[in-house]
Amino acid sequence: MSALLEVRDLHVLHGDRPIVDGVDLTLAPGEALGLAGESGCGKTTTALSLLKLLPPTLQQSGSITLSPQGVAEPINIGRRTERGMGRVRWRHISLVFQGAMNSLDPVQRVDDQIEEAIRLHERVGSRAELRARIDELLTTVGITPALGHRYAHELSGGQRQRVMIALALACRPSLVIADEPTTALDVVMQAQVLQLLERLREQLGLALILISHDLGVLAETCDRIAVMYAGRIVETGTVDSVFAAPQHPYTKRLLETLPVIGGERALAAPIPGGPPDPGEPPPGCRFHPRCPYAADKCLVDPPLREVAPAHAAACHFAPWSEWPEVAATTAEVEV
Amino acid sequence: MSEPALMEARDVAVRFGTRGDVATALDGVSIDWRRGEILGVVGESGCGKSTLARAMLGLQPLAAGSVALDGTEVDGKSSLGELRRRVQMIFQDPYQTLNPRQRVRTIVAEPLLVQGVSSGEHEARVARALEDVGLEPERFLERYPHQLSGGQRQRVAIAAALVLEPDGLICDEPVSMLDASVRAQILAVLVELQSRRGLALIFITHDLSLAWSLCDRIAVMYLGRVVEQGRATDVIERPGHPYTQALVDAIPVPAAGGGGQRELLSGELPDATDIPSGCRFHPRCPKRFEPCDRIDPPLLAAGAPDQLAACLLHDPEHAGEANA
Repeated sequence: MSALLEVRDLHVLHGDRPIVDGVDLTLAPGEALGLAGESGCGKTTTALSLLKLLPPTLQQSGSITLSPQGVAEPINIGRRTERGMGRVRWRHISLVFQGAMNSLDPVQRVDDQIEEAIRLHERVGSRAELRARIDELLTTVGITPALGHRYAHELSGGQRQRVMIALALACRPSLVIADEPTTALDVVMQAQVLQLLERLREQLGLALILISHDLGVLAETCDRIAVMYAGRIVETGTVDSVFAAPQHPYTKRLLETLPVIGGERALAAPIPGGPPDPGEPPPGCRFHPRCPYAADKCLVDPPLREVAPAHAAACHFAPWSEWPEVAATTAEVEV
Repeated sequence: MSEPALMEARDVAVRFGTRGDVATALDGVSIDWRRGEILGVVGESGCGKSTLARAMLGLQPLAAGSVALDGTEVDGKSSLGELRRRVQMIFQDPYQTLNPRQRVRTIVAEPLLVQGVSSGEHEARVARALEDVGLEPERFLERYPHQLSGGQRQRVAIAAALVLEPDGLICDEPVSMLDASVRAQILAVLVELQSRRGLALIFITHDLSLAWSLCDRIAVMYLGRVVEQGRATDVIERPGHPYTQALVDAIPVPAAGGGGQRELLSGELPDATDIPSGCRFHPRCPKRFEPCDRIDPPLLAAGAPDQLAACLLHDPEHAGEANA
């Protein structure tokens, strides 16, 4: 099957500082890709650049091609003008943000917001037809259509996030990008929203790019995962492969710091220091100042290369057959 | 256990609002916080876990019940002063808790000033508190909060809480705003303080796997009540209350295959102004049976020693009626 989305050599610059530095992504129709990484690693910037929604201070380059089913010519997003993007956004790719309270209009009823989204992008038929479609959307995301008359502040956090998802689905896009959609929610609500996304994916054949700092959320929801660090993808592969045998020291140490109930109860030694400032990566491998396994050759930039079937890592030492012991440290290291 | 707990809450109730619209934030909560232990308090937003912390520090007027320090009830000004010397608190958002116009030196010394510690001691005690949280005094004393990363800010907040050498530290979601690698560093600092100094911690969190890995004991709260408590491993690995089980089942697992298929709790936390009859969890409970909407269950022995759960499944008189 041909790819739904192909991103090649995506760069985003802030002045001369690289925020996203050579990212490649491929997404099959109906596939769920998880984008992981800490604040400032460039995951949200990458997502926004797919819709050309970056603020004017950021310059993007690279090719982005979308090939939705039923559209004869692939859409070259990289070359589209702002006007042209208006026919891509929401119609083909839509976005779910983290803070539903801030993304919903506080003075418009839920129904009216969904109606507006549809009217802006499509020619709609009768009033009754539109009403039926709104009710169906709300039902799909598990909200009683009667709640459509409410304002955002009259809904709970979980309900608002569901409304956001209904909005994202309003024009039947082939790709939904969800940026930390459950971060503001409690575990129970989070699990409900993740289950909803999974069900929608099955029912509607949606492709999904899920951005989260929570590796557990990605493990449960995605087929593949890409781990970003300081503007680059440092590891990517199927969820099973990456979680079972991570091949980049950053991924490995990150996974170790997450407690898994029933596993090792003692806290693992934390990764020292913090990620570099966006746009100011250290030379060579960007993780080397914090990496316990760093050696001289790490001053040379490692390429992202296949180290196992369908599994790539940007580390000179990958594939790792075994990981040497590392001394624990709790001291502050400034990078 | 003959020694009194560091702090005890007895039948504490806190209500908000007036007349018709009274929200019951805490409803008869009793809890022991033992010396040197890490006590986890977990539950969904709105369950009352932060209100409990505020009530224990005397920051929240109690509608009923009492709070004791070293077995002595806290009432009146003098005991409140003592309480605030001995027990400190840190909060979730390190971007909002530090005064942006003060240097680290001033921020960390402020509690000494408030408690009237002689100024000759300030320098040395501030330096020691910073070292305890892994910040070199010579590099950080003169900085302002905006010159610190999120993790460093939270370290400064902890240093300011430690400078009075308290016996207890209440941490309200101290790492939920931090990234994974920084989060692990802050946790390591807290655990080291507990093991080296015997500092007792209350760790308020909605992250059950974190509570499981960090805490000695856990109290699970639902709608203003403690519905289960016990040793962390017992409570999380073999929950005695269906609500705890539901929380555990909802945790996303960062491993190949994730958590697999599971049954999710439906609905949301009810409104605290309209608490359900009987067991307050019964409208959402997958295991409810006939008397659950009538009988408000007390905390009952639930398997492991020290493990208590407020569920009729543990009441020999009623457990037989459950259709298992």
